[in-house]
Amino acid sequence: MKTLPSSSSKAPVKFRMPTKENLVPIRLDIELEEQRYKDAFTWNPIDPDSEITIFAKRTVKDLKLPPPFIMHIVQSIQTQLAEFRSYEGQDMLYTGDKIVPIKLDLRVNSTLIKDQFLWDMNNFDSDPEDFAKTFCDDMGIQDPEVGPAVAFAIREQLYENAVQSVAAAREIRLSKKGRRGAEYVPASKAGGTSLDLMKLFNNKYSVVRKRKEWDVYGPTVDLLSNEEVDALEAREERNVRSMI
Amino acid sequence: MYHLHHHLSTPKSLYPLPSNPRFLFLQPPTPSPRPPQAPPPSSENDVVHIPSYSRWFSWDNTHECEVRFLPEFFDSRSPSKNPRVYKYYRNSIISQFRKNPSAKITFTEIRKTLVGDVGSIRRVFDFLDAWGLINYSPLNKQLKWEDGKDSSSKTAASPAGGGGGDGGTAGDANASNNKDICKRLCSGCKSLCSIACFFCDKYDITLCARCYVRGNYRVGVSSSDFRRVEISEEARTDWTEKETLQLLEAVMHYRDDWKRVALHVGGRSVKDCITHFIKLPFGEVFTGYTDLGDVDSKYNQIKDCDDEESGPNSNGSPSPSKKIRLSPLVDASNPIMAQAAFLSALAGTEVAEAAARAAVTTLTDVEYGGNKDSGVASNGDTNLNASVKACLDANSLLEKEESDVERAISRITEVQMKEIQDKILRFEELDLQMEKEWQQVDQMKNLLFADQLSVLSKRSSTTKIDERGSTLKAEERGDENAKTD
Repeated sequence: MKTLPSSSSKAPVKFRMPTKENLVPIRLDIELEEQRYKDAFTWNPIDPDSEITIFAKRTVKDLKLPPPFIMHIVQSIQTQLAEFRSYEGQDMLYTGDKIVPIKLDLRVNSTLIKDQFLWDMNNFDSDPEDFAKTFCDDMGIQDPEVGPAVAFAIREQLYENAVQSVAAAREIRLSKKGRRGAEYVPASKAGGTSLDLMKLFNNKYSVVRKRKEWDVYGPTVDLLSNEEVDALEAREERNVRSMI
Repeated sequence: MYHLHHHLSTPKSLYPLPSNPRFLFLQPPTPSPRPPQAPPPSSENDVVHIPSYSRWFSWDNTHECEVRFLPEFFDSRSPSKNPRVYKYYRNSIISQFRKNPSAKITFTEIRKTLVGDVGSIRRVFDFLDAWGLINYSPLNKQLKWEDGKDSSSKTAASPAGGGGGDGGTAGDANASNNKDICKRLCSGCKSLCSIACFFCDKYDITLCARCYVRGNYRVGVSSSDFRRVEISEEARTDWTEKETLQLLEAVMHYRDDWKRVALHVGGRSVKDCITHFIKLPFGEVFTGYTDLGDVDSKYNQIKDCDDEESGPNSNGSPSPSKKIRLSPLVDASNPIMAQAAFLSALAGTEVAEAAARAAVTTLTDVEYGGNKDSGVASNGDTNLNASVKACLDANSLLEKEESDVERAISRITEVQMKEIQDKILRFEELDLQMEKEWQQVDQMKNLLFADQLSVLSKRSSTTKIDERGSTLKAEERGDENAKTD
């Protein structure tokens, strides 16, 4: 029997995206014969595999890409889905506090967005899509492609956090097995990725944020002109090339 | 199908209603000054065409066919797929399309702007596309033949497979009428298909033979996915009168030997001959369609042949005509009777009956009209009258026989039913007996059980006494041992 790691936690929970809908963020970056296709979207893992082929074909047709892209797209999506599914059977750690910071730093066409906020990983009813919609509304963003990009970024980070928590849970279990459950593993070790709210508020138990952190936690939306966009793109490409 | 002029809603109605603050219309569609595609109506709004089978659409409501085709949003299986989300997807897709109605909007453009999982967005997109609410331009009707898919069949289609299955069909085609399925346009070279075309059901492609051979199809589709569809040669070439006459002659001469029939007709394959022969409108002639003039002349020719040859044997024809199967007369050495029987069997009972009657009447006319050769002239008036009378007698006899047969059958069935009823009664009695015996056995079991219990209890009481006795003995022994130690 698994012993509970801390008094405030409950039984471990099966892995899933901690959002209302269990959607997988999929990122595609395929380069074939001088043509680069980058994309990011959310996928519903309940959809049958035939859906992947249909989607790949539609995308290639719509974007007028050469046909070899279809295979690559399908493979990429399938790999990422398989990875997601491999986590699905395993347990996630369910400690008391699971507030994680989410950072947004993305450029969509000519809109630059920087933001940071806290997200509760325990809230399985959370909805990044909803957040994105409200964000775009409130910030008066004209470009309709920003919303999905924001939602995707949030989802990606939540996914990473969830994966980390699965790894942490596995670690705990293994370590527990080694010591035959005699030693007590403190909960804070397991919840390494989540911020301790107490620490965040500087032990003063005040909910008000410090002034110097105001800028960090507020959204900044910049609209770039075309030249700036080109310049940024060129810089990004150079970075990518240098990494390769 | 006529086209409905669906006016672009004024921007006011597109803004979110106060009760649903979550509606997101990212950009209100600006009605740009564009020349309308139809005679301009009095208002300045743009006119967007949608097909008449989609007239149920309204911005604010969800129609039941949407519920049927896309059940995932309406069956509350997943927490965030609800009708509100569906309406958001649908309305934003349509408004995006209507911003630029002359251009076809692609799925990828759309899904980049919608928040949500791409699978469900794709299904909504395909649904709207199929129903002509987006990417529909009535001026390009001739391109609709490409995929050969019938949107009107979707209105009658059952929701089998829900949204996912049928969402993948009908990419471009919005055929308003697809009755002429034989006209197929090749999706590769856009030419009219003749002879044979290759049809792939998986991806909904029709290719002409040339494109198929050249491999002019999308990657991912293999040549084995195609199946050959023969265009019926009615579309290809029509049978001329001469050919039809030749066919009929040949059929009468060679009967079943279609190879020779085909040779005789000249230039037609065996299958063509057979199909055309079957399709020959024998029936219409008898119901009096005289506008098919050439068919009439054909029929008269046949009739005359029959008249010349059948003669006094006409009374035989009603009886084989009553049977659908080929009658024994087919094997008769009389080739004329065999032919008549064969033709009458092919044509069907009523048709053959009418033919026989007409033949008989013509015979009488002919007889009164003048002399005919080959056996008819030799028969006098009396013979003809006798034959007619014999015909009528034969009919009445037949009817009597039929009624006799019916009565016999009904009597037989009554007897059988009576038998079955008796059997059932007997079985019921047996059943009752069985039950009684079963109950008796049960009682005996209970008695036996009670006896066993009493025996056991008596035995246990005796053993207890024994045990007590033995333990006492053991104790005594123990004491003795202790004493000795």
